[in-house]
Amino acid sequence: MTHPFLSIRNVSKTFGSVRAVTDLSLDIAENEFFALLGASGSGKTTLLRMLAGFEDLTDGDILLEGSSIAELTPNRRPLNLMFQSYALFPHMTVTQNIAYGLEMDRLPKAETAARVSEILDVIQLGHLAKRKPDQLSGGQRQRVALARALVKRPKVLLLDEPLGALDKKLRSEMQLELKRLQHEFGITFIVVTHDQEEALVMADRIAIMKDGALLQVGTPHEIYENPGTRFAADFIGVMNFLPVSRTADGFAARDGSQMMSRGNAAPAGTPFVAAVRPERLRVGGTGDNSLTGEITALAYHGLDLLVHISTAIADAPVIARMTADEADGNAPVVGRQVTASWSAKDTHIFPE
Amino acid sequence: MSADRRPLLLMTPAMIWLFGLMVVPCALILVLAFFRRGLYGGIEYTWTLENLALVFDPLYFQIFLKSAGIAGLSAAIACVLGYAAAYAIAAMPRRHQPMLLFFAVLPFWSNYLVRTYAWIVLLNREGLIVNLARWVGYEGELPQMLYSEQAVVIGLVYNYLPFVILSCYAPLSRLNPEVNEASRDLGASAWTTFRRVTLPMTVPGIATGFVFVFVLSIGNFVTPALLGGGQFQMIGNLVYAQFLTANDWPFGAALSMVLIAVMLGLLMGQAVMADRASGGKGARDG
Amino acid sequence: MAERHIFRLMLLILGVVFAFLYIPISVLVGLSFNDGGLPTAWTGFSTRWYGALLTNDDILKAAGNTLVVALFSTALSTVLGTLLAIGVEIRRRNGKWLETIIFAPMIIPDIVLAIALLSFFSLLGVKMGLHTIIVSHVVFNLAFVCAVVRARLKNFDWSIVEASGDLGASTFTTLRRVVVPVLMPAIIAGALLAFTLSVDEFIIAFFTAGAGRSSITLPMQIFAMIRFGVTPEINALATLVMAVSVVALALSQRLNKGELPGQ
Repeated sequence: MTHPFLSIRNVSKTFGSVRAVTDLSLDIAENEFFALLGASGSGKTTLLRMLAGFEDLTDGDILLEGSSIAELTPNRRPLNLMFQSYALFPHMTVTQNIAYGLEMDRLPKAETAARVSEILDVIQLGHLAKRKPDQLSGGQRQRVALARALVKRPKVLLLDEPLGALDKKLRSEMQLELKRLQHEFGITFIVVTHDQEEALVMADRIAIMKDGALLQVGTPHEIYENPGTRFAADFIGVMNFLPVSRTADGFAARDGSQMMSRGNAAPAGTPFVAAVRPERLRVGGTGDNSLTGEITALAYHGLDLLVHISTAIADAPVIARMTADEADGNAPVVGRQVTASWSAKDTHIFPE
Repeated sequence: MSADRRPLLLMTPAMIWLFGLMVVPCALILVLAFFRRGLYGGIEYTWTLENLALVFDPLYFQIFLKSAGIAGLSAAIACVLGYAAAYAIAAMPRRHQPMLLFFAVLPFWSNYLVRTYAWIVLLNREGLIVNLARWVGYEGELPQMLYSEQAVVIGLVYNYLPFVILSCYAPLSRLNPEVNEASRDLGASAWTTFRRVTLPMTVPGIATGFVFVFVLSIGNFVTPALLGGGQFQMIGNLVYAQFLTANDWPFGAALSMVLIAVMLGLLMGQAVMADRASGGKGARDG
Repeated sequence: MAERHIFRLMLLILGVVFAFLYIPISVLVGLSFNDGGLPTAWTGFSTRWYGALLTNDDILKAAGNTLVVALFSTALSTVLGTLLAIGVEIRRRNGKWLETIIFAPMIIPDIVLAIALLSFFSLLGVKMGLHTIIVSHVVFNLAFVCAVVRARLKNFDWSIVEASGDLGASTFTTLRRVVVPVLMPAIIAGALLAFTLSVDEFIIAFFTAGAGRSSITLPMQIFAMIRFGVTPEINALATLVMAVSVVALALSQRLNKGELPGQ
């Protein structure tokens, strides 16, 4: 097969004079767990709703296994959506909710029943089959919504902020659960989220969206370790930004010291920033680059300790991450002067 | 403020009023239904079940059935029209909805007699419809439109339709549009979605509308008197006659009692239904 | 798309419904300004039928009676209904019976309440007249006032009552200086609603007015006139009555931001 599994081609969407999605192209492979990551208003939900068929395309096309689905109504598309509000039918029981989509496919009664009970086992809600949605907890409702979409065995499952309404602990459990289900069912998942951590944990590939366009597409590792833009660097994880200026042979920090960076060809434009992740800073160590400053705050997170360092080379405090082990040997104290260093390979340069 | 008696003090005057002028008089009707009619229209204070039995006498019971039929037909027509109107209003852009609803309910606020009279103006022998028919060149004999069952049904639907629009609008406007989308996404056509999702979720609103129109219609005596023109009697007219012309108060009371029983039964059934249908969450009037 | 078809069908019915609702009353209003007074032909714009009303002593007398009934019953029911609403909302845990009794006057069919009151008054030997109409109207009016005020009290911040008490005000002072002023829009809306209901009410007035013509109200007068058929005077009178109720209730609605219970 030469064509990609799901192909979004030059898709645009305007609401009146507002451009929600602009000339966006993206290919997604079969059995991929794909995350669309972006802030609200980035166009990610609009894109998802166009895939599901709830928004017409202003321009472009969507192909599934080589044939266009852009003109199909939502009920004719072999894609299913798990809604952010779950959108469970309040007047139907859990069983009726899950069976609804199979009834629409005119499956024989016996097969419908078998598949419903099978999926109820998978989501471990067999004992609540006769309950109505308002008698379920948030987590249970979320699983029913997932089962209702999944039971139809769609070619692609679309998930709109699937974990948004859950509390933190349940959320991290469900992240792994979703990954497990995706693997088990062998279905392509496209999840929309504004939570970068969720995207990093779950997805095979991530697309960062901004202003209706794709900023960067890549594996979680690529996106985290090698952000393509300052926005992507800022959006994913924690990043320290240090203003630098262009010199004849590289870049210099505010205090004039040389800022060694990974071999990026120097981008055009005047103001630049150097970016480095907190976990790449070594407090007290030596490296290609270093800074000194006063410790202004310590934030203890159990596994690690975040050290806030006020320094002359940046406006905001620079954050260095120490592991518990490191901190045990050399406990930082607020008010004390420290030096932190990092390597050139961990230093990214972006135009400001 | 658990042991506070002050709220009770505030409620007392109104409660006395309601007790003295509603509870007691209504209880009186219940008692009256079991007394015998006096010789000259008075009341003889001996217990009897004759009045109740008379209600179920075919002569009168048939009027009861007829009234129920007319009330049921009016309620059904009002529900179909009212639901569709409410659906259309709820599907409009949010900012236009209050205005549309306001105009749908506006006629409801004008005088009942006046609204009924407007139909006499339209339907009578020299009325607008007859004149229109002549104007377009129709020379033949026109059926009697006023003073008929149809005129009564039209009058009842006309008078109570805005109530149904209100009661149906409430659950329709509260629907989560994503629930409809979920149904479409799971493979249902627009019509199936309407039948299996929208309609069941909004049925409490229809039930409220139906019960209220039915209840208000079955005991109505103004509309049959004015638009039915004494061609036939409904329960309301029968009750009216017992009190103001036939002077058989105990029988009138018995008729009212059965009427109240039917209405209470319906209202309770409707309350149970609203309770069961979660999500639609029963429409409150207004 | 199919949703469009369903929506279009419903929209069509909405159009029919609006025509159905507005054509009859529009025709009525139009005819009231027809010089000839008959629906057979438009003979020119005229207000002479309105003028004719002013010389009709029966109608003037009935209008006067209606005004007396409406004013007194509105005043009484506004006070009683407001106090009831405040009491009920402070108490919160109200039994089913209490709620039923408060709700009942709004749903009891007029004819039942009318005959109940007629039997009650005549068994007690009360001579009937305007006063019996007034006290009877208060029964349902106070329930409507109470409903309107309660709706407002649902999002009432009770901590301001506690604050007033904390600052040294007595219960009565708090009621007078804090609760009632905050509720004023709802109270006025309730009063306007009560006034309109009373002006329009026919059946209960009809049964509790007693014999004779002395305490006939406007709706009773209209009912009597309608039974004799269509006349230009009724068209004019009906238009006036309709205008009064619509204006009063539109005002009430405006004051109360749509919290109006159905009749």
